[in-house]
Amino acid sequence: MKLTVQQGRFGYSPDKPVIQDLNFSAESGELIAILGPNGVGKTTLLRCIMGLLKWQGGTSTIDGIDINAMSAKQLWQQVAYVPQARGAFAALTAQDMILLGTTSRIGLFSTPGPKERQLVYELAEKLGIQNLLAKKCNEISGGELQMVLIARAMAAQPKLLILDEPESNLDFKNQLIVLNAMTDLTTAGICCIFNTHYPNHALLRASSSLLLQSGGQAIFGETSQVVTAANIQAAFGVDAVIGAIETPEKIYPTVMPLRLTAKKTATAPDSAATQPVIATVAIMVSDSTVTTTINNLLSTYETYIIGRLGLPQQVQGVAVINVVLKAPINIINALTHRIEILPQVCTKTTVANPEMLT
Amino acid sequence: MTTAPHALASTDNTGVSWRWKLILAILPLAAAIFSLCVGRYAMAPQDIWHALTDKFTGTVTVAPQISTVLWQMRLPRILLALIAGAGLSASGCAFQSLFSNPLATPDTLGVASGASFGAALALLMGFKMLGVQTVSLLFGLIALALTALAGTGKRQRNMNSVVLAGIMIGSLFTALVSLVKFSADTESQLPAITYWLMGSLDSASYDSLLLGAPPILAGITVLILLRWRLNLLPLSDEEARTTGVNIRAIRVVTILCATLITGSVISMCGQVGWVGLLIPHMCRMKFGNNHVALLPASVLAGGAFLIVVDTVARSFSAAEFPISILTAIIGAPFFIYLMRRTGGWQL
Repeated sequence: MKLTVQQGRFGYSPDKPVIQDLNFSAESGELIAILGPNGVGKTTLLRCIMGLLKWQGGTSTIDGIDINAMSAKQLWQQVAYVPQARGAFAALTAQDMILLGTTSRIGLFSTPGPKERQLVYELAEKLGIQNLLAKKCNEISGGELQMVLIARAMAAQPKLLILDEPESNLDFKNQLIVLNAMTDLTTAGICCIFNTHYPNHALLRASSSLLLQSGGQAIFGETSQVVTAANIQAAFGVDAVIGAIETPEKIYPTVMPLRLTAKKTATAPDSAATQPVIATVAIMVSDSTVTTTINNLLSTYETYIIGRLGLPQQVQGVAVINVVLKAPINIINALTHRIEILPQVCTKTTVANPEMLT
Repeated sequence: MTTAPHALASTDNTGVSWRWKLILAILPLAAAIFSLCVGRYAMAPQDIWHALTDKFTGTVTVAPQISTVLWQMRLPRILLALIAGAGLSASGCAFQSLFSNPLATPDTLGVASGASFGAALALLMGFKMLGVQTVSLLFGLIALALTALAGTGKRQRNMNSVVLAGIMIGSLFTALVSLVKFSADTESQLPAITYWLMGSLDSASYDSLLLGAPPILAGITVLILLRWRLNLLPLSDEEARTTGVNIRAIRVVTILCATLITGSVISMCGQVGWVGLLIPHMCRMKFGNNHVALLPASVLAGGAFLIVVDTVARSFSAAEFPISILTAIIGAPFFIYLMRRTGGWQL
C-alpha cells in the first residue's frame, strides 16, 4: 500500500490557505506523525487526505488510484479512521461498537455473524482489551474508549489507519498503551498516520513526520530531520532544545520547550551538517522479524557503511549488530532514529568527528 | 458469572436471553387474548374460542352478539392498537437514535401536528371517518416536506437544524389546529375535534385498517430489516461515513419510514402520546442500545402496551377514556420506577 499526496491545497476561504502545495507519501509499515500548532489545520489535513473534505487542488492516491475515483466501499476497506474519543448518545457495548467496523462488509439487511464476532475477539485479544468487550462504551475510561475505537477501525481490516489525536487527554500509562498499539500495528505491516500535540511522541515513535505551519506550508521528512529546534521555532514560535535521556538500553530523544521566541530570526542552514563524521551503531534485538527490518534498513544505508564489527552474532537468543558508518551527521541521526523507534530494540550510537581524533 | 472469551465471541446477535425472547414474543398475544375477554361486555375465554372457531368451521355454537362484539368491535380495535403501538414505538426509537436525543418522539419533525391539523380540518368540513384519515395522512406528509425544505440545504449540515425546523413546523400546525378549533361550532364540531385530538381507537374498523395499516407495516418492516445499520445513526456523520456505509441514505430511509408510520397512526387514532417515548426508553434500559435487540423488543412491547392501555380505556367507565391520558397515567409511574431501579440508561 502506498498513499501519495501530490500538490495538496485546501482553504476555507480563498485568501487564507490552510494547506498548500503539500507533497508526501506513506507506505505500509510506516508510522507518520502530523505536528503543528493549535488551529493550524491538522484535523482538516487528515480529512483531506482521506477524502472527507475534497482537495481544492492536488490529489490523494492509494497505489496510484485517486481516492475520489474509488467507491465509498472500496476506499473504506483500505482506509480506516479513528476519531477523537468522546462519548456518544445511546452507548453500545464495546463488542457491538467494534462490530460496527465490519458493517460495510456485511449485507444491507444482515447482522454480523460468527465470523465477524470471531474477528472482534481476535482484535480485542491483540489489543489487550478482551475484558472490555461486555462493558458499555460510556462506562469505560477515555484510554479504554480510544482502544475500542482503534479496534473498531481495525475491524474493517484496513491497510491505512488514520488517527486524530489518539493520545490526547490520556495519562502516561494510557498514552503508552495507545502508542504501543500503533507501533505494533505498523510492525505488522499497516501504515498509521496520526495527529499529535506531542513532538516527543513523534521523536520516539514516528518514522516520518509532517510539520504543518500556519499559512499552509508543511515540512515533511524523516522525523529527526523535521522535529528540530529550528523547525519548532518556526512552527510554534517557541525556543526549544532537542535533548536526550540516556538509559542503559537506549538514548531517548526529547524536546524541551524553553521560552516563547522573542523575535523570529531566519535560521541559516547548518553548514556543519554536511561534513562527514564516523559513527558506530550498536544494536541488540531478540525478535527475528525486527532483526530482518533492521537488516533491510541497514542495506538502504549501504553506501555509508564502512565496516561491520564481526559477523552478526547470536548471544543467548539476542542478535548483536554492530556497524560503522561514515556519513553526514543528519544521515547518522536519521538511521539512528529509524532503529530507535522499532519495538524491543536496545541501541546506541557513538559519533566521532574525524578531526577530533587525529 | 464469568464468560469464556470464545463463548462471548460466539453468543448470538442480540445478547437477549431465551427467556426474555419468549416473554417478548408472548406479550402481544397474551395482551390480545386478555383484551378480547375484558370489556363492558365481558366474555368467557371458551366463548371466544368458540366464536373464533365458528368462523372457520361455519357452525354456530355461541350467541350472535358475542360473535359480533368479537369480530366487528374488539378484533379490529386490538389489531389497530397492536399496529399503532408497535409503529409509534419503532418510530420513536428510530428518531431518538437519529437525532442522538433522548427526548425525540415520533412528533419531532412536526408530522403529528400536521396530521392533527389535517384531521381537525376534515372534521370541521364534516368529512366521514375515512375522509378524515386520508386528509390527516396527507397533511402529515406535507408537514414532513415543509420540515425537510426548511431544515436542509447547503448551509445546514447537521441534524440539529432539521430538528429545529421540525419544532417550528410543528408549532405552526399546532397554531393552525387552534385556529380550526376557534372557528369550529362549539356545540358539535369542537367536542369532536377535541376528543379526536386526545386520541381514541374508537373508530377502528377493517376499512380504516386497510388504508392505514400497510404504510405502518411497511415502515416497521424496513426499519427492522435495517436494524444493524441503525446503530450507525448516533455516530457523527464523519465516523459513520468512514465505516463505508452510505449513512445519508440510511438517514433518509429512517426518516421516511418513521414519518410514514407516525402519520398513518395519527390519521387512524389521533394523538396517542407517550408510547413513542416511554417504550423505547424502557427497552433501552432492559436490552441495551443495540438496535438488533432494541427495535424488535420495542415493536413487540409497544404493541402489547397499547393493547393493554386501550383495553383499560374502554373498560374503565361507560364513557370511553381518552387514550393519551391513560398512556401517561399508566406509563409515567412505571417509567420512573424502571429508571430508579436500573439507574436509567446514560447518554
